[in-house]
Amino acid sequence: MDIDDILREVDPTSSGVPNETSDLQSLTRLWVAERSAPELLEWPSGGLFERINDRIKAQIEKIEILTGDMDPKTNFALIVIQTELERYKFLVRSYLRARIAKIDKHTLHYLSSEELRNRLSETELAYATRHQALLHNHYLSSFLSSFPTQLQNLNDTAGNVSMIDSPDLDAAVFIRMLRDRPVTGQGTDADITLNASNGEVLILRWSSAKSIVEDGDAELV
Amino acid sequence: MSYYDVDAILTDGEKVPCTFELDVPYLGHLDNSTTGLKPGTALSLPLWLAEMLALASTGDSKAPLILNMPPCLSEQVIAALRADPRSVTLREQNVHLYGVGVRMLDLFDERELGNTLRKTFVVRAGEVGLHARKADDGSLGGQGEEFLRGLEEWERSLFRRAHEGVKSAKEWTEKVKKS
Amino acid sequence: MALPLPPGLVPSEVAFLCEMEHVTIVPRQRLESIELLSGATPSLRPPRREDIPLWLALLLKKQRRANILPPPWLHVDSLRDLIHHETVTDPTGWSLPPPPPVRADGRGNARRLNSDATTVLSPPFLPSCTSSAPAGALPYHWFEFAEMLLAHASDDVPSASDVRSLLRDLQEVRAAKMRTSIAGLESGVDGVMSLLGVGAMELSESRGFVTGVVEGVRKLGASAEASRREEEEERGGADDDEPSDDDMGI
Repeated sequence: MDIDDILREVDPTSSGVPNETSDLQSLTRLWVAERSAPELLEWPSGGLFERINDRIKAQIEKIEILTGDMDPKTNFALIVIQTELERYKFLVRSYLRARIAKIDKHTLHYLSSEELRNRLSETELAYATRHQALLHNHYLSSFLSSFPTQLQNLNDTAGNVSMIDSPDLDAAVFIRMLRDRPVTGQGTDADITLNASNGEVLILRWSSAKSIVEDGDAELV
Repeated sequence: MSYYDVDAILTDGEKVPCTFELDVPYLGHLDNSTTGLKPGTALSLPLWLAEMLALASTGDSKAPLILNMPPCLSEQVIAALRADPRSVTLREQNVHLYGVGVRMLDLFDERELGNTLRKTFVVRAGEVGLHARKADDGSLGGQGEEFLRGLEEWERSLFRRAHEGVKSAKEWTEKVKKS
Repeated sequence: MALPLPPGLVPSEVAFLCEMEHVTIVPRQRLESIELLSGATPSLRPPRREDIPLWLALLLKKQRRANILPPPWLHVDSLRDLIHHETVTDPTGWSLPPPPPVRADGRGNARRLNSDATTVLSPPFLPSCTSSAPAGALPYHWFEFAEMLLAHASDDVPSASDVRSLLRDLQEVRAAKMRTSIAGLESGVDGVMSLLGVGAMELSESRGFVTGVVEGVRKLGASAEASRREEEEERGGADDDEPSDDDMGI
């Protein structure tokens, strides 16, 4: 068989791909991206998470119904369903935990502007705000309150160093191209443009990669 | 630089040679002298202080002191690095050699120094990567161990990252075989 | 409960991803279609071949309900060709990955990642480990896929011990390439580097090291870069995106 024949069987866009597959691809991509990006990425719009959570709930209910059935044949189906469910739950959980890790690390940074706050989901924003308040109270009662007032700030910027730690947006990341296009990366001695092809893995600064990833022309790996 | 970065704080405490340009009364104790500091006095000060004073301007637009290249970035060291980056025991020169280097490059327009440091880092990094791969199979040898002992802090952390990667991939492969 | 892991997937996560790769099986028992979150599984009718996710295939294999057909690239001849390619034909680069599906979005529409519009598929959602995958090209998840298959279904892999030793050779050859790939940074070319053909586990293994080197070079060159940008600004941004020769710092 000719390679082209094989390839033609696959349509890379999801027209023809069932919704379930494209949702799983989206969720997986979000998870890998969040695990790889140096900063917190935007909370997905478009109801992907609501959809996935609803389906997970429905699947759990289905398992409860099936558990009453002792037929060994359906029992195997049950094992398969449960295995898959655990895999989904892992993806969702790991994604959320990766986000919480970033929020914990740079809480004040993500609360510092409207643009950054908008990246958080409603529950994440509530979490970050309360977490920061708790932490601040703890600092106050354990040591900050014994400092002179002008030294009690946690967001001072004196001496050219801001106390609000922020992620390094120039950190190096790996991306994989989703289509052919030129990619420009900022470098020390020169900014280089490379004609990258679909499937190619590149290493560059996140600051150079971000817009390409946001356009959907590449994904973090 | 990040506010809570321990390595950056430690680098800040590294001493650099300075020469005072001004008469500074009441600071004689820095130089074990009972009178004040006289212009021309050579003193080693921590980076954070030296940098501040070197960049500060007094009334007649003269900075209180001149900051000089620290010995770890002297002509001799740089020449040795140019000849063979692997042969220099960086740790003996300065535990935070690259960190201090970055700070100096910010203050001085020394392109050649910058190029040499970059080249040194990359060449030695290749060596670090190789050793990180070999570290667990006992094939390192005396020369390898000596090289690793001579790594400065950036390189040590690079070694840890490289070794961690190799180790966890190996552990995964072993685990799959057993399962 | 924040995730206490460094950025980038760790090996167990890479393997988790790889388990979503589709693989071809030959069922030994009938099994009705199962409604899963990721869609319905095909109903299994021996001996009709079906493509299913690796995690499910391994589950069926464990229960002796199916045999797995290794992808063509995992055959001895294919691996020998690959090693020849990596050592003789192109000793510096990795061998090319399987070609991406050709009908890439014909309308040329870039699609937003987070919109619920259609999504471009990429590994592990491309059929690069099924029996219809091409020989002589290593897909993104080649290493972990081969390891898992050999661990759980070695009786389905023809000349498994040869395959195993060829894989070891391939792994060694390619590991050296990761280290030499960073040597390019010595001359100061660090804007964007291609690692065309690199595999997921290889990336995971070397990520900390490679990003560490790139970031070290960036920090050491930060002041040089800042003054270069200033100079370019002064020249009125005369040269746009295309770097001219003297920009290359040679």
